[in-house]
Amino acid sequence: MDLSVIDWSDIGVATWETLVMTGVSLFFTILLGLPLGILLFVTARRQLLEQGFVYAVLSFVVNVLRSVPFLILLIVMIPVTVILIGTSLGVEGAIPPLVVGTAPFFARLVENVLREVDRGVIEACQAMGIRTWRIIFGALLPEALPGLIAAVTVTAITLMSYAAMSGVIGGGGLGDLAIRFGYQRFQTEVMVITVALLVVLVQIIQYSGDRLVLYFTRK
Amino acid sequence: MIRIENLHKTYRAADGRDVSALADVSLEIGAGEVFGIIGRSGAGKSTLIRTLNLLERPSAGRVLIDGEDITSLDSEGLYALRRRVGMIFQHFNLLNAKTVADNIDWPLKATGHTDATARAARVKELLALVGLSEHGHKYPSQLSGGQKQRVGIARALANRPQLLLCDEATSALDPETTQSILRLLLDINRQLGLTIVLITHEMQVIRTICDRVAVIDGGRIVEAGRVADVFLHPQHPVTRSMVAQSDALAAASYDPAHAYMSDKLRGTLVRLTYIGDVTYQPILSRIMAGAKVQITILQGEVSSIKDVPFGQLLLELEGSEDDIGAVFAELDRHQIHHEVLQ
Repeated sequence: MDLSVIDWSDIGVATWETLVMTGVSLFFTILLGLPLGILLFVTARRQLLEQGFVYAVLSFVVNVLRSVPFLILLIVMIPVTVILIGTSLGVEGAIPPLVVGTAPFFARLVENVLREVDRGVIEACQAMGIRTWRIIFGALLPEALPGLIAAVTVTAITLMSYAAMSGVIGGGGLGDLAIRFGYQRFQTEVMVITVALLVVLVQIIQYSGDRLVLYFTRK
Repeated sequence: MIRIENLHKTYRAADGRDVSALADVSLEIGAGEVFGIIGRSGAGKSTLIRTLNLLERPSAGRVLIDGEDITSLDSEGLYALRRRVGMIFQHFNLLNAKTVADNIDWPLKATGHTDATARAARVKELLALVGLSEHGHKYPSQLSGGQKQRVGIARALANRPQLLLCDEATSALDPETTQSILRLLLDINRQLGLTIVLITHEMQVIRTICDRVAVIDGGRIVEAGRVADVFLHPQHPVTRSMVAQSDALAAASYDPAHAYMSDKLRGTLVRLTYIGDVTYQPILSRIMAGAKVQITILQGEVSSIKDVPFGQLLLELEGSEDDIGAVFAELDRHQIHHEVLQ
């Protein structure tokens, strides 16, 4: 392997782009997915604000979005992305499909994490005469915090691999580099380095996530 | 304080059939009273206590607290009611993510008490009341079961309720810890004049702190009254079997048909029951002094139920019918209850 063919500044830029794509889309994924997950949880049967119809609709939408393979979503989303931010290319162009692809996934994770919170604790809050919204934000979410952090960790890693995939339709970052140089120009070295970098980044995210979960666990 | 009128609760089971959890329950509970509801698991006692703060909505009937029908409250009214009614649970149900002090502060903070200094003072007061002053900074996972229940009690008292509901509050604790929690509840009942309604399957809990008891079985109240009356003279088969299964009060449930000594008996089998101060008077010896009757004590207990002393003895009397009749007359004169069993 001849590492001299590698343009390290390209690698640096691509790594930065990958981090930006992951970070920004993680932000929007949480922004959309967290409320959606909370809504799924509280409207479900025998929960705080049981609403059968609302739950059924939300659940259906989430399932539909989750059943579209990400590669197809990337392509389907192109016109929407153009309307939203003016281009479907580069780092910005990759963010809308990334968010749409992972927000429903994250919402489901959130729903499951909230279900793990002891029912008795919620019931005790109800018995105290505390309003439902206050129970959600003051008791339910803090109790679920370690689980939520774990869900964010999993989602961040999913986003990073999706971000790499967006290289196929001209997104930026390490995936784009791997496809253009590693695949199309047969520069195996670039492929190896980008994959190695992705492995390292995923390890760092997982490790930090695990540490945070441990820090906030009071059980 | 509480009046339960013709309460019914029916569930729709998974297979579509209606299951009755409560059937025509009526009870009256006085202010300042410690009222126990005892029953086997599945008897409906948990459903019953949960209707008192509407965690469970009855299918029919009314629950009046201080004359107000809580089943007709709107959501604002229900919030207000629940702030006046504290509740503690078998599994404590503390918030794991909050410290002990924050757990106690939470019902105050979340129900509109904005003055943080006043809240902190109240939390300190409550921590002292339940004997956990040194533990405010800890998390629930660092506490023992008894300590967790103390936090539960402090939390339930934060909003100064007039009524405390205890849902199997000692069932997850060992006997020693149970006693210390019961003592605390009794202290609170006396110091604050708090009415306590508790459900349990343990007779010992009822005996230790309750003034009155209701026995529930199959969703119905089968027997109710002063604890000493109910446990020393159990009428219903369910109460009898409950009394029989406890180590104490063996004489109360004595059944000659099933007793090992029945075939060895020569005389008359009599059960004496006396409640109150008479327990500590030498009445038995006075009665026997002049009587021409042989007496054998077969079984018995002298103890107290809450703070009411009682004695209950199973005696075999041997003598002529007239002599035994004279003893009975003397017992009647001293108002000692006696039943001839065989």
